[in-house]
Amino acid sequence: MSNFLTVKDLVVRYDTDDAVVRALNGVSFSMAEGETLGLVGETGAGKTTLARSIMGLIPSPPGVIESGEVLYGEEDLLKVSERRMREIRGKHISMVFQDPMTSLNPVMTVGDQIAEVLQNHENLHTKEAQHRACEMLEMVGINADRAGEYPHQFSGGMKQRVVIAIALACRPRLLIADEPTTALDVTIQAQVLEIMKRLRQELNMTMMLITHDLGVVAQNCDNVAIIYAGEIVEYGTVHEIFKERAHPYTIGLFDSIPKLNEDVTRLKPILGLMPDPTDLPCGCKFHDRCQYCTEECKAHVPEMSQLSPTHQVRCIHWKEVAAK
Amino acid sequence: MSEHVKEPLLRVEHLKKYFNTPAGTLHAVDDVNFTINEGETLGVVGESGCGKSTMGRTILRLHEPTSGKVYFEGKDVTACNKKELNDLREEMQIIFQDPFASLNPRMTVSEAIAEPLLIRKKFDKKDKEGLQKRVEEIMDLVGLARRLVNSYPHELDGGRRQRIGIGRVLALRPKFVVCDEPVSALDVSIQAQILNLMQDLQEQLGLTYMFITHDLSVVKHLSNDIAVMYLGQLVEKCSAKKLFRNPVHPYTLALLSAIPIPDPDVKMDRILLEGELTSPINPTPGCRFAKRCIYAKPECSQKNVDLVEVEPGHFVACIMAKDFHAKASEA
Repeated sequence: MSNFLTVKDLVVRYDTDDAVVRALNGVSFSMAEGETLGLVGETGAGKTTLARSIMGLIPSPPGVIESGEVLYGEEDLLKVSERRMREIRGKHISMVFQDPMTSLNPVMTVGDQIAEVLQNHENLHTKEAQHRACEMLEMVGINADRAGEYPHQFSGGMKQRVVIAIALACRPRLLIADEPTTALDVTIQAQVLEIMKRLRQELNMTMMLITHDLGVVAQNCDNVAIIYAGEIVEYGTVHEIFKERAHPYTIGLFDSIPKLNEDVTRLKPILGLMPDPTDLPCGCKFHDRCQYCTEECKAHVPEMSQLSPTHQVRCIHWKEVAAK
Repeated sequence: MSEHVKEPLLRVEHLKKYFNTPAGTLHAVDDVNFTINEGETLGVVGESGCGKSTMGRTILRLHEPTSGKVYFEGKDVTACNKKELNDLREEMQIIFQDPFASLNPRMTVSEAIAEPLLIRKKFDKKDKEGLQKRVEEIMDLVGLARRLVNSYPHELDGGRRQRIGIGRVLALRPKFVVCDEPVSALDVSIQAQILNLMQDLQEQLGLTYMFITHDLSVVKHLSNDIAVMYLGQLVEKCSAKKLFRNPVHPYTLALLSAIPIPDPDVKMDRILLEGELTSPINPTPGCRFAKRCIYAKPECSQKNVDLVEVEPGHFVACIMAKDFHAKASEA
C-alpha cells in the first residue's frame, strides 16, 4: 500500500436548525497511485460529502469536520491553508460533478471556461491558455472550432465532456468523478467512460469514481468501497466485491438491480429505507433492515473484519452471510 | 401481423406528432405502428430525445397527434370529443417520471389521492367517510402507511412520492397506464420496491402498461414486448427475450453493447457509436440511423425503411434486416 491518498477516521456532520445530520461516521481508506476506486452507495449515504471533504469544499456552516485526516502525500488537506488548498484544487486534485447542466457557467464560452483554470493555475497568457483549451476539447472528442460556443449549444454528453476537459486541463494527479455519467444515455455514457479510461492511462491518473451503477463499477474500477449511512461497510477488489461479497447490504444492493444476464421474475429489494442521518440507529447502522440481525448487532458498531489482505467487511456475521 | 383472436387493448396506426419550431418541423414521432394486448407490458426504450415520452403523451392525447389513429378497445381515441376524451382518461392514465415535480407541494397525501376521485365525481364532496375509506384502500394498495395520510410531499422520500403518483393513477381504476420513466429518479433499492409494486398491481388489477425507459435492464425485467425507438421511429420490436438473445437492428446491437455488465469477469465488447442523435428537425429521407451505422450503404439514405417481419412477431426497420437476422440466428 502506498500513501498516495489516505483518509483516516473522517467524521463530518452538518448542524442544521432542527437536528444534527451525521453524514460521515469514521471513514478510513487509502488509495495507491494509478488505481481507480469505485465508491458505491445510495442517495444520502455520504458519497458526495466524502468527495467534498477531500476537496475541502464542505460548506461551513452548516458542515463541521469533527475529526479525521485526509493525507495527500504528507500533507493533511484538512489542515492546510485556504491559499494552499486553492493551489491543490484543480491542479493536483480535481472533480467532475454529477450534473453537467448546472456545473458550467451559462454566460461564458466553453473555451474560456477551460482557459480560466489554466490561467489560474499555470499563469498562462490568454492566447496560450486559449490554445491549450482547444487542445483539451480535441482530447475529449469535441471539435476545437466549438470553443467559442456557450454551454446551451451543447448536448448533455458534450457538456459532460467539457466538464471533464476543465477537470483535466491541469493534468491533475487525482480525479474525483461524482456520478459523471448518471445524467447521460447509455451510448453516450459508453463514450464518456471510454474517454475517461483513455485519459486515465495517458495521464497516469488516480481516480475515485462515485456511482450507484454497479455495471460501471465492474467495468472501470480496481477496488470498490460500499458506503452505507456514512460508513464503509465493505471494501475489496472489484473481484472480491462482485464474486465474494459478504456484507448483507452489499448482497441486498446486488439483488435489487435487474440483471441483463439473468432471468428473475421478482427482484429482492432491501426492506425499509435508508436510516435518517439525523437519527441513526445505534450499533450496526444496517441492523433494522438486516435478516441476520442479532442483539449484538444492535449494541455495538461492528469493527472491520479482515477477510483477505484486501477484503474488509463491517459485519460480525460475515461468515454466515458469505456461506449462503 | 400475428393472428390474435382478441382485439388488442391498444392499437396505434401511423401515429405522427410534429412540432413547429423556428428551425423547422421537428418530427418527434414519425409514423409509428404497434399494438399492446390486454394485461401485457410493452417496453419502449431509446435515448433521450428520441420521442418516447412524446409518443406516450400523444397516445393519451396530452399532445394532439399530427396524424394517425389510436384505437383503445376498438374506439378511436383521436376522434373523441372533449367529453368522450375526459371519460376515456379514467381508463388511460400516466405515471410521470419525477415524483418531486409531479405532485402539488401544498396537497397532503390524502388530498392528492382524493383529487382525481373528486374531479371525476366518484364521490360526493359531502361523503367524507366514503372518500376517506377509498383513499385508505388506495394507500394500502400502493404500500403507503396510513400514518402518512396528512403528510406533505416534501416530508417524504422519492420512493414514497412515486407511490403517491401511482396511487393517484390507480384511484380511477384505469385499464391502461403509460409509465414514463417511473423509477429513473429513484435509488436502486427503492427502484426494486417500486418495480415489484408495479408488477404486483398488474397481476392484481390486470393492468396493461406501456413502460417508457432508457434503462434496458429494467425494461427486460418487466416487459413482454420491447420496442426500440430511434429519432421518432421504431427500429425494432419483438418479445423481450428475443430482443436480448437475437437483436437484429444495428442500433439495437449498439444500444445493448453499451450497457455496462455488472460482472468484472465479463469483458465488454462494445460497439462504440460515433456521434450522437442527429437532429429530428426536418430529417432527410432514408434510415435515420444511417449516419452512425457501421453497415450503412448508399441506398440506406435514399428511401424510407419500414418495419419488416423477419420472423413471426419480430419486426425490424432496416434494409438489410433479413441478412442480419439470418446471421444472428446462426450465431
